[in-house]
Amino acid sequence: MDNVSFIKLTDPITGEIVEHAIIDRGNGEFTSMLKSTYDEMIARNEAPTL
Amino acid sequence: MAVGLPLKTTYANGDVYSAGDVNDTNGTINTTAAPFAAGKNKIINGDLRFNQRNFTSNTASLAYNFDRFYQFNGGTTGTMTVTPQTFTAGTAPVAGYEAINFVQCVTAAGASTDTFAVYSQHIEDVRTFAGQTATISFWAKAASGTPKIGLEIRQSFGTGGSPSSDVLTPAGSVTLTTSWARYSITIAIPSLSSKTVGTTPNTSFLGINFWLSAGSTLASRASSIGLQNATFQMWGFQIEANSFATPFQTASGSIGGELALCQRYYFRLNGNGSYNPIGFGYSDSTTVARMYVTTPPMRVLPATLDYTNLSIVADAIYNSTATVIGASSPNMVRLDLTGLSGLTAFRSYALLLQNSANQFVGLSAEL
Repeated sequence: MDNVSFIKLTDPITGEIVEHAIIDRGNGEFTSMLKSTYDEMIARNEAPTL
Repeated sequence: MAVGLPLKTTYANGDVYSAGDVNDTNGTINTTAAPFAAGKNKIINGDLRFNQRNFTSNTASLAYNFDRFYQFNGGTTGTMTVTPQTFTAGTAPVAGYEAINFVQCVTAAGASTDTFAVYSQHIEDVRTFAGQTATISFWAKAASGTPKIGLEIRQSFGTGGSPSSDVLTPAGSVTLTTSWARYSITIAIPSLSSKTVGTTPNTSFLGINFWLSAGSTLASRASSIGLQNATFQMWGFQIEANSFATPFQTASGSIGGELALCQRYYFRLNGNGSYNPIGFGYSDSTTVARMYVTTPPMRVLPATLDYTNLSIVADAIYNSTATVIGASSPNMVRLDLTGLSGLTAFRSYALLLQNSANQFVGLSAEL
């Protein structure tokens, strides 16, 4: 079962705070992406275009 | 247009040309060479040589398995399990082409009107083959019975602005047996006349859908193959601009070329369990490190990162608990590692895969 957590990191160059999603696959493997990308992925998966 | 150029290279008095010796009066070029040409096949990794993700079995919808191929399955009922299979030497279905892998898709428990199971590849750019006649070919067999595979072309116009809706073109179906055989279907791919491609670059595609099961609500798209609980084995995927199938070749025609094509979409560094070095960088606090990894030129800047936990080393080895893409350019990404402790701020560190089996970092720029 995947667990999702979110972290915020400050970009060292721009100073911008960026939020990321980290998906724990439960087997020692992870997938990370921008939170905005994660939100798009969830929306796409809930209404997939076949 | 009459061309009439002779193809023979030796002549003698009284020679009479046959039709195959000259280009005919309709302008058709008659050649004797096998039609091998880099780029003829627009499906990448059609021989399934590359499995950078090292997948062993997958049931999740929208997941990639062999490079460039993904599965799409769902509905109220029904599953699809995709596994890599290995040809025994000498048993690949094409004489003279000793392939390594084929794919097996097992559809099960499909019983609802909305069940679907599709094996697919998205080919970059909806302009591909638009307005042309194309032929899709592949080898396949069933473990038992005579299930069907339905083919469909999906023209997707990308994102940004007001792109046109997808154009879906069913291409018909083929019926398998329990022996390997090559199947081909020729289709007129619709033109882009009156269509609008999205304004976000590199987001449109030509989808090739291999339908393996489809409930009644999807019958028209799947060429009425129906609900099928069966075991499909497939290999040697090709799509070319032609009215018939020519001999199979990979998109690039070479192993190195094909890997480069795959790595435009997904690039993975796999370790061997011994702290493999993969990059360099620095710490900017006692808990965060910014590490740089070079990549091949990818299709777009990678948006997602697959990984196992990473380590950095200078005076000692430090293990991180989370990694994200901090920034990227066409040939390099900056990975930001967190969950560290005891670093010396603004010290240089090397980035390592950890010293256990199956460690990796993968960057995705898939469509």
